[in-house]
Amino acid sequence: MKIYFESLAMHLKGELEYRVDFILSFLSQILVFFTYYFIILALFTKFNHIKGFTLYEVLLCFSIVQFGFAFNEVFARGIDKFDELIIRGDFDRLLLRPKNIILQVLCSDSDFVKVSRLIQSIIVLIIAICHLNISWNLLKIITLLLMLFSSCIIFFGIFLMAASYCFFTVQGLEVRNVFTDGGKHMAQYPIGVFSKGFVYFFTFIIPYAFVNYYPLLFFLGRKSSILYAFSPLLVFLYLIPSIVTFYLGMKRYSSVGS
Amino acid sequence: MKAYITYFKLKFISSLQYRSAAWAGIATQFFFGFVYVMVYVAFYESGGKNLPMELSQIITYLWLNQSLLALVNQFSKDQELFKIIRDGGVSYELARPKNLYFMWYFKILGQRLANVTLRFFPLIIITTILPYPFHLGGPASLLHFLSFLLSLILGTLLVVALSVFYPIITLITMNEKGIVNLLMTIASVLSGVSIPIPFFPKFLQIISSFLPFQYISDLPFRLYVGNISLTDGVFGMCIQFIWIVIFIILGNIIMRINIKKIVVQGG
Repeated sequence: MKIYFESLAMHLKGELEYRVDFILSFLSQILVFFTYYFIILALFTKFNHIKGFTLYEVLLCFSIVQFGFAFNEVFARGIDKFDELIIRGDFDRLLLRPKNIILQVLCSDSDFVKVSRLIQSIIVLIIAICHLNISWNLLKIITLLLMLFSSCIIFFGIFLMAASYCFFTVQGLEVRNVFTDGGKHMAQYPIGVFSKGFVYFFTFIIPYAFVNYYPLLFFLGRKSSILYAFSPLLVFLYLIPSIVTFYLGMKRYSSVGS
Repeated sequence: MKAYITYFKLKFISSLQYRSAAWAGIATQFFFGFVYVMVYVAFYESGGKNLPMELSQIITYLWLNQSLLALVNQFSKDQELFKIIRDGGVSYELARPKNLYFMWYFKILGQRLANVTLRFFPLIIITTILPYPFHLGGPASLLHFLSFLLSLILGTLLVVALSVFYPIITLITMNEKGIVNLLMTIASVLSGVSIPIPFFPKFLQIISSFLPFQYISDLPFRLYVGNISLTDGVFGMCIQFIWIVIFIILGNIIMRINIKKIVVQGG
């Protein structure tokens, strides 16, 4: 763990060397995030609700998903950019070192510009919560924290799966975006608003529904069963196939040379 | 002129080689399109007030957008151009007795056309045969279709004229991120790619009508679905034409000023 934080600090120093660049990228990220926010706001000026969910309920969901995604972009950038490790042949070097391989990949890169998105998603979360009438109790606080936490976990799992894809081929990498960016875009809205087939897919195959739908129902007081409150815990199970896939892929790995 | 057409052809043919990337692109665009469509379906089923477009219109708009994304999107960067600026290869380009602006213009045009040629046909077919209400609908009328084609051609010339600015800016800043990404984001939102212009708040619609971005793809797509009347369409095409002329003249001027103080990186 110490190694990881040291490498984070190194990357941060590295990025701050190009100060103007960092500031401009930071600003442009703020703008990008704002456009996501703007799209939802604009749609809600024409519509009152989406399948019973109001603006601030959707924003709550949106901010939780964006938080998890941005968290991984900052702290697990190495996994997101795993194809570069493979293409450059740098992955071979990592294999030679006597440390956990996933930890090393995590250490290989980070993107502090995306901290802007983390901050913004927390701001949107606070705005949303302030506008919602929530009867607070300890369980609800736990649910909210679990949602945030599971959001980070699910994207970590998806990034890891997408990285495993690189062991098989580095062609057509755009397909990864379907699951990362596409998934994020979709999960901005509570999964329940989509048609049945999608809800099942995103419950059992990629468990977004346990991040942004079932616990949300409990949090908003629409369901009272305690199972809904703790459903985000199921997302942790998703890590198992992700890690297994990664190691299976690694067994097949043959270096590209250089 | 012949030289520029050769540039165009070269880029077009070489870009046609990237077929596996194209399949990945098709899959990605199809999924993204589907997500957007489902969001709007969910919204429309929940009911709204004074909706500026019908559901079938907006779905067709979204599919056209995804099918032709390679042609009209704001985020594609011609990596080759940025590379020669970074590594100094631009000096070879300058040595050629041709106008650098138009060389770049035709290269970008060639690449965009090649990318869309590889992608749009399968997407149009798949999305047309999708079940109701998710499918790509037909044009509002024959005249709407013809004006769609004409304004799409003008929109393409406009988006290329806009895209040439990015390498020109990079000549000054030596960095293709920062300011270029900032501009691309603004252009992208105001072009209606993420959300069609009629869904914008009123004040932004007014601002946007004075800017060039909505004339790239929003105008042709809305003509296709019949959300804009033909007379407004003709008016829009005049504006497209004016913006193309302004951009090309402006681009040439900025290019000429910058070339005088260009610093070639390495050699």
